[in-house]
Parts: sequence; C-alpha cells; structure tokens
Amino acid sequence: MQLFRAVTFGLLSIGLALGATIPGDARVSRLSKEVQAKGWIVYSARTERGDWDLFLMRPDGSARRNISNTPASSELGGRFSPDGKKMLYRRIPSDSKINHDVWGALGELIVANADGSGATVYGKSGEFPWASWSPDGKQLACLTKTGIEICDFATKKVVRKLDRKGIYQQLFWSPDGQWLTGTANHFGESWTVVRMNATTGEVNALAKFQNCTPDWFPDSKRVIYSSRPANQDETDGANLARSVGQSPRYGWTQLWMADGDGSRRSLVYGEDGRHIYGGALSPDGRYAIFSRSPVDGGLGANDKGAPMALMRVEDAPTIGGESKALRKLFPHTKDGPVLPLPDGWEPHWTYAEAPAKK
Amino acid sequence: MTRSRWFWLGLAVALATFSCAKRGDSGVDREVTTLGTIEVTAKLLEIPGPFPPNDLYNYAYVLKYKVLTVDRGKVEGDEILVAHYNPLKPRSAAQDEFSGKVGGHLDRFRAGDVHRMALEAPLDNFWMGGVVDKYFEQKGVRYWAVWTNPKTD
Repeated sequence: MQLFRAVTFGLLSIGLALGATIPGDARVSRLSKEVQAKGWIVYSARTERGDWDLFLMRPDGSARRNISNTPASSELGGRFSPDGKKMLYRRIPSDSKINHDVWGALGELIVANADGSGATVYGKSGEFPWASWSPDGKQLACLTKTGIEICDFATKKVVRKLDRKGIYQQLFWSPDGQWLTGTANHFGESWTVVRMNATTGEVNALAKFQNCTPDWFPDSKRVIYSSRPANQDETDGANLARSVGQSPRYGWTQLWMADGDGSRRSLVYGEDGRHIYGGALSPDGRYAIFSRSPVDGGLGANDKGAPMALMRVEDAPTIGGESKALRKLFPHTKDGPVLPLPDGWEPHWTYAEAPAKK
Repeated sequence: MTRSRWFWLGLAVALATFSCAKRGDSGVDREVTTLGTIEVTAKLLEIPGPFPPNDLYNYAYVLKYKVLTVDRGKVEGDEILVAHYNPLKPRSAAQDEFSGKVGGHLDRFRAGDVHRMALEAPLDNFWMGGVVDKYFEQKGVRYWAVWTNPKTD
C-alpha cells in the first residue's frame, strides 16, 4: 500500500511538473469530459499528403474529421461566423508556403457552411485580406495596405474605411462590434498588439514589444495574445534553445491576456521549450485553446504543425513542462490540467452544433 | 614588350578603370530613374541602432537622410525619413515574396554615404509589416525605398 501511495504520489508530482499533460491525470480526464460536448473546433492541420486541410473536432479532440480534403490546395485560418452557421477561410495552392504572419492575406477567401459543405470562392487571390466577421455576420472588416475596409457581406461593397494606424496583421473585430484588435507598428515599436475604436479609429497599445496573434474574449473587454518577453532567463545554458536550432537568449513565446486598455496584463500559459501561439477562447470565455510549437513561427517543426492544447482560463497562470526559468518568474502558478490535442494551427471555437456531421 | 609585360599593363589599366568607375559612381541606372514616384540624392546621416535580426522576420528600418538634390517628384523638407526593407542584406538580395519590388546596387548602409534612391510614399501604402522607427516622435512622411544605389562621385 505504501509502495502504491509512493508511486501514485510520484506520478502526480511528475504530472504537476509537466503542467498536467500526462494523459492518465484524472484532472485532465475531468477537463476532457467537461468540454467534450461544448461545440466544435475548426483548425488547419498538415495531412499525410503534405498539404494543409481544415479539420473539425470536439473540444476534447474526439470526432475529428477532415472537412476540406483537397490535395491540390491548402486551407487555413478557419473562423466560424458569430452564429456558428458559416465559416470563412483562405485557400492557397498546396505547393505554396504558408506563412504564420501573413496567412490572412494569402490566397482566395472562401465562405462555406460550418460543416465545410457548400464552399464557394468569396474573394479572388489576395482579396478581402484578414477578413473578420462583424457581430451580426452582415459585414467583414478587412485589413489592406491602404486601410481597414468595412465591407457589406452580401454586396461585397466597401461601406466604410479607417486608417489602419500601423496595424499590419491579424485583425479581429470584437464580439460587441465596438473594437478591432491587431498587430501593429506603434510608437516606433513593431509587434505591438493594439486596440482600435471601430468608430473613431482611435488606437491604444495593449501590449508593446514582441506580441502578436491577438483575439477577443467574448466580453470584448479583454484580449488574449502571444508574447515573447525580453531577457528571459535560461537555466540550462541554452541547451533547450540549441536543441531546436534557436539562438541563445531568443526566449519562448507565451500566452497572455490583458484588458483592452492595456491594464491587468497577466500570463495565461507558458512553457520553456515551446512557443505558444494561436490563442483562442471558447464562446463563453471559460476555456483557452492554443498551439505549442517547439520552433518559433507557430507552424511547428519543419512546418508540420504543432500540438494544440486546452485549459481552463480560471487556471491561469499555468506553466507546462519543467520550465525552471519560467517557474522562477511565476512561483505561484495554478498549474491546472492541460488537455493535449492533435497537431494543428489557428484553432477557432463555436458552441453551435451546425458543424456536426449530418 | 614581352607578352607578360602586356599582360601586366592590361591588368593595371583594367584595375584603374574599374577603380575609377567605383569611385565615380553616379548612382544613376534605369531602375532608379523610373521606379517609384520620387527620386532623390541624399546623405545618410546616421544609423540610429543595430539593425534587427532577419533570421525569422523581416523588417523595414527607418533611416534619416539629408536631401542633396531632388531628382524627380517632390519631398517634404531637406531631411527625410526613409524605410529600407531588410537592411542587413545587400539591396540586390533584399527583395522577397513579401516586399514587393525593392533593389539596387548598394551593398551595405554606412552613415555619411550618399545614396541615389527611387522612393514611394507614404510607407504604409507600400509595406504592410514590421517597421523599426527610432524617429517615431518626429512627425512627417515615411518614404519607402524602392531602389537604392551608392553615389560616390
């Protein structure tokens, strides 16, 4: 019995040290059951053929299915409409290189039903870059070189235009329609996540220096984003960095959240040895999903995709892996359960049942 | 004169010609006089900090110039701020799938050098990506360098 206790305690300790990513961890099983029926997640993943297709899965990773199956093209960046009945995504020839930073401006814009059926070309190659739904799904905000264009979804006509104020990628419209967020050059600093008033075009910095991939909390008050803080400690003599061909002192990208005015910045999830990207929230804001890439750029080692994971937002901050340096910086982490999910990129979540197989 | 003397004489003439050509480079070529909407000859006043690494991401980096002559189009003031794409690379190798048309014969940026440049403006209309701008507190146009040649005469 003592031996059993010791083994159990040992496994639990390892589980905690790994950020509870051990499949046998009961807390992970509970989390898995908790989210299983909570809608669907769409994401891009590399197929065995080498192209990227769109996949749907339940939030626990079950019922996974390929909904594009197109050997001649790659599909990426799926975003459900606010009512969960449709989705937008980009389609590029399968021999094109996907770029983690400019994917929203690549290839054609496709509109399809939420289960992937009825895919039609909405915009030709390069048109409607970074298209993002308005709350009622009747408009799209697009990020072009000459400004942010608000387009009527039905007629495709530009109904309003805003100066882009240095925003250059990853534009997303808030669920209440009042704000836009994006990655910008702001006050001399690139990679600044900003919030823009969607009516006046006024901009405030939310997080400066090496931040990107922002997305909204459902309350439109907070933003989740990736950040690679400067001067990260390396307790292993940079061995971890070197093992993935990364320069010493480069640091690791973490998942953070902040209020729209830039206040209350706090760590959601970090893991030394992993770059955390593609942070997205469940429609009720209770869960966060993200990808954990060993190399920077978000597309995983050799651009093959990176394992995704899911956690409760109330468990933030959580740290995965041994992460000695990060734990030193955040000694009071909650280290909640982290549910491992298949390899993927840029996930998006709906609680609607429209994506279910007919 | 022996064959070997002719060889050495020829070589000396060739080297002198080449050397003079480099020293007297006007910076004028077809591209600099036709690309963009503005063409200037300007002195690079300073490099305000180290260029950012370009191993994963490529940036445009803003440099300050004193305008010596406006060769085509118009610029605001006699000091201008010009964004160069991926300045760690020679201009002939800077263009990539994200940059649009950029190039020239300049190998590296050195404060004090004079460049003949074809420019566009405003920067935001030509480059949608990271910009390192140490002069962000200075208002005014940021120009986009399309073609950059050294001018050495």
